[in-house]
Amino acid sequence: MTDLLLTPFVAGFLITLVLALAGSGLFLRGSVWQALALGQWAAAGGVLASVLHWPVLPVALALGAGVMALLQRVRDAERLPLALFLGGLAAVTLLAANFSQASLAAAAWAEGQLYFAGPNELIAVLVAAVASAVLWPWLRRVWLHAQLAPDVSAAPAPPAIARWLETAWLVAVIVLGSMVLGMPAALATLLLPAWGAAFLARGLTGALLWSQGLAIAGFLVAWTISLPLDQPFAPVLVVVLLLLALLARAGAALRRAA
Amino acid sequence: MSDSPVIEARAARPGFDRPVLGPLSLAVPGGARWAITGPNGSGKSLLLKCLTGQARVHGGRLTTAPGTRISLLAQDHPRPHPWPLSGHDWFRAMGTRVPEHPRIRALLRRRLDHLSGGQWQLLRLASVLAPAETGADTGRPHLVLLDEPANHLDAEVRADAIELITALPASTTLVMTSHDDELLGTLGVERHPLQDYLDAHD
Repeated sequence: MTDLLLTPFVAGFLITLVLALAGSGLFLRGSVWQALALGQWAAAGGVLASVLHWPVLPVALALGAGVMALLQRVRDAERLPLALFLGGLAAVTLLAANFSQASLAAAAWAEGQLYFAGPNELIAVLVAAVASAVLWPWLRRVWLHAQLAPDVSAAPAPPAIARWLETAWLVAVIVLGSMVLGMPAALATLLLPAWGAAFLARGLTGALLWSQGLAIAGFLVAWTISLPLDQPFAPVLVVVLLLLALLARAGAALRRAA
Repeated sequence: MSDSPVIEARAARPGFDRPVLGPLSLAVPGGARWAITGPNGSGKSLLLKCLTGQARVHGGRLTTAPGTRISLLAQDHPRPHPWPLSGHDWFRAMGTRVPEHPRIRALLRRRLDHLSGGQWQLLRLASVLAPAETGADTGRPHLVLLDEPANHLDAEVRADAIELITALPASTTLVMTSHDDELLGTLGVERHPLQDYLDAHD
């Protein structure tokens, strides 16, 4: 691997680990539709930033946070996130149709710009990885507590600050993942490994480890294939992750039948 | 049994968006073993949900003793599939200590979505009845609410469920609903028809 590709590789590797962790949380909370809406509005933010000549990450984060705030306020697990996703898609398409720089930015968010990830992206990803490790005990507590309803525990619920931090962390990870890997690849890394892992694991820890293992395996295979074959990384990653998730499901079914 | 009530209702009108029950007035003493009885749809589950904050009180008053820790076994808890959580994870989520009961211990390493309906009900029941993991809440009143705990209990686990409920500490207050007369008789709980406490004004 050339020095030129080392930074993209490390940034991609780390954000894959973090996205797989976030994907497990979304899966456990039954909030996978939220990821679609959030990722699309992060992309809309990135495209808008290119039109306004503003820095991409803050604008994408601001729009992602706005969408998340709306999703938290209105408890609708499917219809509202889907409507927001469509709204975000329409916003990106309209911007791309009317501004040439927006058209380029929209293509970059769709295809992914991993090979062009530089030190700024790497630093942002490193911060996200460290934040994930620091927040892990609270994330686990929030995700476990979300499983209880309609039963009620006599133990105190996680404090409001823990739930707020989990939401903020989720927004940051999805926006950053979409920026580094491209939106479809980030969503695939969020959703598919966690889904496959849910069939294989024997418990929460296993689910998180399987999710990260499948995501990293997908990343490495896609990286290895796409470079020599001169293919865009993001769609290759989506296909590989889809195959791995299906293999995981089939493997779990075979194990149960045996 | 303590004289001071753990639950006190005065002309309470429970409901969700609007009141659908009441006025209801009752007082459940600390350490009591109560079964609220009545036909389906009479509001037994609604009363339990009001106590946990899952439903509202639209008028009157429904209170618990200060500092009361409340745990509820809901009437049903549908399991998603796949659901990559083990019995150990469930007790961690509930924040309660795993009891030294061989049949519960045997379920700890199993996935929740692979348990039979009876095993799942037994595991939930055990986690609701168990003391807090940290022990930090020692000394505070504990109110256990069981909504139709005999649901899904097959012959394999029924005796274990009865054993767990009867082993509750005397200081813990138990309020349950059930249509299972045999279970109520075995547990030796006091039967209180909900109807007797309705339309009772101060």
